[in-house]
Amino acid sequence: MSLSRRLAPWWLLTPYIAITALFFVVPLLDAIGISFYQTNGARSRVWVGLDNFTFVLGDPDFHKALINTAVFTLGSLFIQLPLSLGLALLLHNGTGRAVRAVRLIIFSPHLVGQVFVGILFSVLFMPRFGLINQGLQNLIGWGLEQRWLGDPALVMPALILTSLWMYVGFNMIYFLAALQGVDKGLVEAARHDGAGPWQVFRHVVLPAIQPVTVFVVLTSTIGSFQLFELPFTLLRGNGPDNAGLTVVGYLYQTAFTAGDLGTGAAVGWILAFIIFLVGLVQIRLVGRGGGA
Amino acid sequence: MTSLQACLLAAVGVGVLLALGGPRGRRWSGLYARYALLGLAAGLTLTPFAWLLCAAIKSPEALLQTPFLPALADWPRDLTLANFATLFKPQPGYPPFWRYLLNSLFLASVGTLLQVVLCSAAGWALAKYRFRGRGALMAFMLGSMAIPGMVLLAPLYQLTYRLGWLDTWLPLLIPGAVSAFVVFLFRQASQGVPDELIEAARIDGAGELRIWLHIGMPLVRPMTGAFCLIVFLGQWNAFLGPQVFISRQELLTLPVALNTYMGVYSQQYGVFLAGTLLAIIPPAILFLALQREFVSGLTSGAVKG
Amino acid sequence: MPSPLNRFPWGVAPAALLLVALLSGAVLLATTAAAGPRPDLVFALFSKEHKQAYEPLIAAFASEHHVTIEVQHSDMRALASRLQSSFLAGAEVPDVVEVSEPWMGYFTKGPLNDLGFADLTDRIRDEGIDQQIPAGRFAMWSTRGRIFAVPHDVHPVALVYRRDLCEQLGIYPATLTTWDEMTRVGRRISVDTDGDGVIDRYLLDLPAEGDFGLRTLLLQRGGNLFDEHGQPCFDDELAVEVCVWYAQATRGAGRIAFPAGWGQPLAKAMSDGLALFYLAPDWRTRQFELDVPHLAGKLGLIPLPAWQPGGRRTSTWGGTGIALTRACRDPQLAWALIHRLYLQTDGMGGRFADSNILPPFKPAWTLPEIRAPRPFWNGLALGSFYAALAPDVPAYWVTPYTELANGKLNEAFSAIAAAQERGEGDLAGTARRELKRCADYVRAAIARNHFLEPSP
Repeated sequence: MSLSRRLAPWWLLTPYIAITALFFVVPLLDAIGISFYQTNGARSRVWVGLDNFTFVLGDPDFHKALINTAVFTLGSLFIQLPLSLGLALLLHNGTGRAVRAVRLIIFSPHLVGQVFVGILFSVLFMPRFGLINQGLQNLIGWGLEQRWLGDPALVMPALILTSLWMYVGFNMIYFLAALQGVDKGLVEAARHDGAGPWQVFRHVVLPAIQPVTVFVVLTSTIGSFQLFELPFTLLRGNGPDNAGLTVVGYLYQTAFTAGDLGTGAAVGWILAFIIFLVGLVQIRLVGRGGGA
Repeated sequence: MTSLQACLLAAVGVGVLLALGGPRGRRWSGLYARYALLGLAAGLTLTPFAWLLCAAIKSPEALLQTPFLPALADWPRDLTLANFATLFKPQPGYPPFWRYLLNSLFLASVGTLLQVVLCSAAGWALAKYRFRGRGALMAFMLGSMAIPGMVLLAPLYQLTYRLGWLDTWLPLLIPGAVSAFVVFLFRQASQGVPDELIEAARIDGAGELRIWLHIGMPLVRPMTGAFCLIVFLGQWNAFLGPQVFISRQELLTLPVALNTYMGVYSQQYGVFLAGTLLAIIPPAILFLALQREFVSGLTSGAVKG
Repeated sequence: MPSPLNRFPWGVAPAALLLVALLSGAVLLATTAAAGPRPDLVFALFSKEHKQAYEPLIAAFASEHHVTIEVQHSDMRALASRLQSSFLAGAEVPDVVEVSEPWMGYFTKGPLNDLGFADLTDRIRDEGIDQQIPAGRFAMWSTRGRIFAVPHDVHPVALVYRRDLCEQLGIYPATLTTWDEMTRVGRRISVDTDGDGVIDRYLLDLPAEGDFGLRTLLLQRGGNLFDEHGQPCFDDELAVEVCVWYAQATRGAGRIAFPAGWGQPLAKAMSDGLALFYLAPDWRTRQFELDVPHLAGKLGLIPLPAWQPGGRRTSTWGGTGIALTRACRDPQLAWALIHRLYLQTDGMGGRFADSNILPPFKPAWTLPEIRAPRPFWNGLALGSFYAALAPDVPAYWVTPYTELANGKLNEAFSAIAAAQERGEGDLAGTARRELKRCADYVRAAIARNHFLEPSP
């Protein structure tokens, strides 16, 4: 079988386009339409115009969800990614079995699904009996009765800690891969010119790994904004005082728990818009900052 | 000294051992610190696994008695394989446990294969051909990643129903057979294939399909391995989709089936955790098999932005 | 490279996955019986225990009526979301469903003539079923005056306590008849016994976030989330009183309750005697028998202490009912099945012995299994104990906004509890303000619903 060069890309793209059209675009259009209605069941449907959007934008619960999600996102960007990069730098030049083993170990939590991690950590975080509580009590004399998943002030730290365990290693691999692409000659030359480790890192390594940094920042942001399954299983709900309510959790609550599909769709659109906007800003910021 | 303090000391010890086994001839200043840090990170990462392993073999009464393993004298009483036995014990009206394992294995491997084949084709087309609409397609693809999947769940359910696919595996396999993210990764990886090779093949009379399969894909292989793992993990651990689309017990996947041990009237943590341990094994095997390709593979997907 | 796997264009890993797919697919094909024709009735439920208890009865029923019946068990949340999606899409649904109290509300949101479940009110009234079941129990399954399910249970709430430890500490539970007395004892015994700054013994197990504990006590007090017209009422003075007491009991210095949680942590707290008293609806006593078998004979049961002398000594927590979907293909047959499972004493005794769940069907309360003394409970006739409380069980009105209201009650409580932890005065003022704010939120949500016509 041979394909003409002109048509070949379209043949290759056909499965992607067909499946995306049917299972992404069609439901997407449906979801756009439904966001202007209030529905109940297959038959009852009332046009409400922009009411779903104005309700969501004015809803204090949505504001809370947005703040929580933003905090979580900032946590993953400013705690998780530096840790990932730091570990990658520590591992980078190492060779030998031990270093490879450490690399595997640090990545390994990513093998465990969010559902499992959620329930596993819900036990680790238990007041008095949880490993984390007992560990903290042993080490620093604090924390035995802290209700990580029950105290509004501790829910977000608990979520961030859990996601650190899951994702630090995953992003580390990206950085590790990027570091291997850094031109060793450039590093040596900079050293030769008397640059200290920090300066080498700042002016040689960081610019060199910038494309990967953009990529990791973007994917982490998208992932963080779409956080759902982890709080869903870790907290078995939204947590006390909605402290673990995320935007997608709010979407789930309105669309499925409360059965208001129209409002749920409106939440989805608002979220997509925010992710889009944040993504654009990040590409400009990180793109420029790293290149300077 | 408590067992926890012992655990942390052990982590530091691992770091020291690593230092001894580490590379020689470099500057030694800071090397110990570096390996101690790495050892600490590895120790902290492993702690939940260690806990999980211990929890899975403890009796329910012993689960929270000690952080890890009970005192040696209590082993005969407190250590048991009962949690695993409960998982595999036949229950009237329910399929045997291995059935869920097999279902998950089948769904995850077929789902991964579909994604790898279809997305590599799309990625190759986007990387190696110039055609009208390519820019628009790329923009659409990247934009589609911003849409949370949850918005589509209800319309997708309706569509699945109209197609007569409810209570089958099709809604788990087909809509998930392509992913913008994986297409994007394959596009980035395919860009690394030199154009001269392709031109040379064309001159030799190779067809476009042949060029994709026998010149493009072999060169992209290291990345394919890495993407395979990422896709497999997503499919293997999928929860929401199987929970919503499947109600026939014998079609359920492992995570959904295990979740029923955290039931309404009773929560069998030990059994659930034993199941979690089993659920980690297949992706771990895949990961260990692919680890060589893994690091190098991921870069090319991300580097050339 | 000799490996044939290597000839696969995408490399060894995908080729290996292909092998796995083929192998597992072959085994699955070989072991899967083709899905037969759709059974005459599909019965969906969310509890493994129920499925196992019903299966013999259903088998007998099916052969009596010459029909086929399939019982589908799913996780509770999975069943709820699937049912909901099916109703929304107009897709095929089971004929008979066991529904759980919190999510009945989701399904009663629309106009009465467009709900996914069938209206059972006339059947229930015409057959006098409302006389055979404690009257308040239908509240949970009603919307706008119509009933959509037959109750499976009453779930009266009592307190389980560690008899041995109470005796050692000089506590006589039978004499603790009000929450005031209970609190006084609590203050005395909830102390740090070894001086490490951590309290070592508590009077009670209550969730510190409010949750089921707060709701159960609110219902006992005579409060509710909604009144019988479906309007939020959890900002009344009863709610203020219960919230203030609950905040003082669970938070800050002088607290008397510990959140023992669920499953093994709860079992451990009981075994260790970390808390002496535990909320115990009938269904939870079975869980105790399974989770702390070594405490056999060491546990006692008392009715809840009253809020005021002579007040109500019980409450309710949880509930299951059975409903017919509107799309049910054979309502007569399905109704006969409901009768067989829920409205005939035959089999109920055995189910009680297995589950400790008191059936709401009053004629069953004299069955020997229900009156039998139970060794684990020190010879107490468990069924009769709960049956004596059952008539006093408060009505719990469930509406489409119950889930929301539960969340909002917890939200208000969280603010009250924070004020208590900071040691602020005028807790009642805070409670009034927060409860009002949260109830108003629910009122606004109800006002947005275009489909919910007012109660007739």
